[in-house]
Amino acid sequence: MLSRVADNLYWFSRYVRRAENMARLLDVNGQIQLDLPRGAHIAWRPLVNTLGAGAEFERLHGEDTPTEVDVVHFLLVEPDNPVSLRNVVNHARETLRTVRETLPQDCWVAINDLHLYIESNPERAGSRRHRPEFLGRIIDGCMHVSALLTSNVSRDTGYQFLRLGTAIEQADMTSRIIDTAASGLIQARSDDDAEAFQAMQWMGVLRSLAAYQMYRRQLRQKVSVELALEFLLKNREFPRSVLFCLSRIQGILPQMPPRKQVEQVFRGAMGLVFDANPSRLAAVGPCAFVDRLQQELSALHGAVHESYFQA
Amino acid sequence: MDWTRYRSSTWDELVASDGQPRPAARPLLDYLSSLSRHELNERQLAADVTARVMGITFTVYSEGRNVDRTLPFDLIPRVIERREWERTAAGLRQRMRALNLFIGDIYGDQKIVNDNVFPRELLAESVNFRPQCVGVKPPLGVWAHICGSDLVRDADGTLYALEDNLRIPSGVSYMIENRMVAKRVFPELFDTSAILPVDNYPTQLYDTLAALSPRPGDTPVIALLTPGIFNSAYFEHCYLAQSMGIELVEGGDLFVGDDDICYMRTVYGPKRVDVIYRRVDDMFLDPEVFHPDSVLGVRGLLRSWRAGKVALANAPGAGVADDKVVFTYVPKMIKYYLGEEAILPNVPSYLCHDAKDRAYVLAHLDELVVKPANESGGYGMLIGPRSTKREREKFRRLIEADPRNYMAQPTLSLSTAPILGNKEPEPRHLDLRPFILSREDVFVTTGGLTRVAMQKGSLVVNSSQGGGAKDTWVVDLEEAA
Repeated sequence: MLSRVADNLYWFSRYVRRAENMARLLDVNGQIQLDLPRGAHIAWRPLVNTLGAGAEFERLHGEDTPTEVDVVHFLLVEPDNPVSLRNVVNHARETLRTVRETLPQDCWVAINDLHLYIESNPERAGSRRHRPEFLGRIIDGCMHVSALLTSNVSRDTGYQFLRLGTAIEQADMTSRIIDTAASGLIQARSDDDAEAFQAMQWMGVLRSLAAYQMYRRQLRQKVSVELALEFLLKNREFPRSVLFCLSRIQGILPQMPPRKQVEQVFRGAMGLVFDANPSRLAAVGPCAFVDRLQQELSALHGAVHESYFQA
Repeated sequence: MDWTRYRSSTWDELVASDGQPRPAARPLLDYLSSLSRHELNERQLAADVTARVMGITFTVYSEGRNVDRTLPFDLIPRVIERREWERTAAGLRQRMRALNLFIGDIYGDQKIVNDNVFPRELLAESVNFRPQCVGVKPPLGVWAHICGSDLVRDADGTLYALEDNLRIPSGVSYMIENRMVAKRVFPELFDTSAILPVDNYPTQLYDTLAALSPRPGDTPVIALLTPGIFNSAYFEHCYLAQSMGIELVEGGDLFVGDDDICYMRTVYGPKRVDVIYRRVDDMFLDPEVFHPDSVLGVRGLLRSWRAGKVALANAPGAGVADDKVVFTYVPKMIKYYLGEEAILPNVPSYLCHDAKDRAYVLAHLDELVVKPANESGGYGMLIGPRSTKREREKFRRLIEADPRNYMAQPTLSLSTAPILGNKEPEPRHLDLRPFILSREDVFVTTGGLTRVAMQKGSLVVNSSQGGGAKDTWVVDLEEAA
């Protein structure tokens, strides 16, 4: 397996997973918005920081309070935002282009189809009426690619890099989506409301990660900050929880050429999540923890990059 | 489909001048006649969809970005009778043997120059002569392992060699895929005619490359070196790498170590490469020797090749024989090296460095096709009968300034074959590019890639200039009878 090919496969699966999570996040926030009483509203701006595009957004929009349409347009289809969903899908497509021969032809057709859909319908992203359909189409498109990878790709070394990319990206996106709630998504009219909106907010987070139903089935309790954090960080059965993603990586590493550096960094990330105490995080707020987690994941990516792609 | 009014102004590959089908084409034309217009359109649509779905594309750079285009595919195959093809293939094998001996001689003792058969001054002025290759003895004495020769047929039916592409010829993937499309669209016909298969090319190419390995006995590690996705033939690079099961690499994937061995960067660490089928031009192959700022090549690759640690196909410098002026000497090479007469005639040519020829060319610019020695893709040509006075004056100046770089040929009345027109079949000019693989023996594809000018009257068949393709059938009449 060529290093360049491994690198591209890894990023292809990361981009596909990122696009899907972005679509879910924006879809759910749009829905919450509709449930809020008059006077309360979603603070869209923090989503920009969560998705790592704060500086670019300020360059384009200045520091004024942006509208929903500004933010949604910027995050979904703005060509000048390097991490807009449109560009993420574009990157996925361009990345696959260079290693097209290594994956089944259907994958190319599927990602190409998704790209063409976004390019021909960018205006649908801005409209409240059309957005759910637009985002639904993107989520379906990404799931289609994932299904093709899972069902039709031989379990060779290249496949391990695809899985590794998906697992690291999902862990990262889960941590980012936790961060959106932690940084106060709903702007309440008063402190009393804030209490009431808290549950709504964390339900939104669970929904953004397709986790709400699984949470209810498993815990049979109403949503609390502590339990939501426990579920999203440390649940062993839900595939988008951080611990689940890390366990998956633990299973992948022995199937790849052994690299000490990667194993060492991995143990650091695993330890951090293992030791996390949801009730304490719920009390003090999870922001600082999420920052550390993202640093660990970023270090893990760095180790993979150095060990396998820059050989 | 109605053939009664189909007539060509020149030799037609399927229909004789009296309107009767040529014997090898009769079952095809009978079958096509039995189809309604609607049925034909349906099949053309099916062919286009198949081509798109299979992703048969070439890349065109336009409006600042790259787009994949499908090569226009015309449904009606070109048919060649087997006995004619066998003569042609023998001619091509003979040409390749002579050309490889010529290249080896030029980088060796230069006997052909010393014996005054090939003029020394032509060599001195050749832009494709690589001094770095002098003295190198590549495995099996073969330099041009893969050649795509262009053949054209004149109005009297004579098949001529027009040029030999010895650098990085492309198009073979279209030949194979065109057949796959034709089989899907015309399955009935493959029962009625004995159409010889073409799909053994990747196997033959693999064997040709594997035979070059510097580590005989072990399974060789073979890679196809592509300039990358922006290259117009990237689709073909992927296609061939996939069908041979070899690695598709870019310059950055390879490096040459202090031991002069060429390695590829893999997730397991460096891995030795034995044979490189390079689809990167000589000048970009190694920044240590050629263009110093090339990022497409591999630093030290020439060093590794000269040391015999890696094999390159085609060998660097093989292009010295791929030059429209050198081309005119091929019949003399065949005589000189093999003691044989050329089986396949060259298109008659006039060399502008020769005073007598030059005077003739300058006096007949309006009748001749003038070509620069080293352009490919149909660029930089003057087609005399279709030129303006200004264009002719421009070429007069170009020729006088640099006579070595120009040659001229009579304007052949290229043969035609019918394409599916809007209402009725219409004749279009075409050529044929067979591919020839050289190792200990010489392999020739069955037929080749038929390129067809899709515009009425046009003589330019290059895909970069609006040409399309047809499936090419070599039909065995004896077996069918």
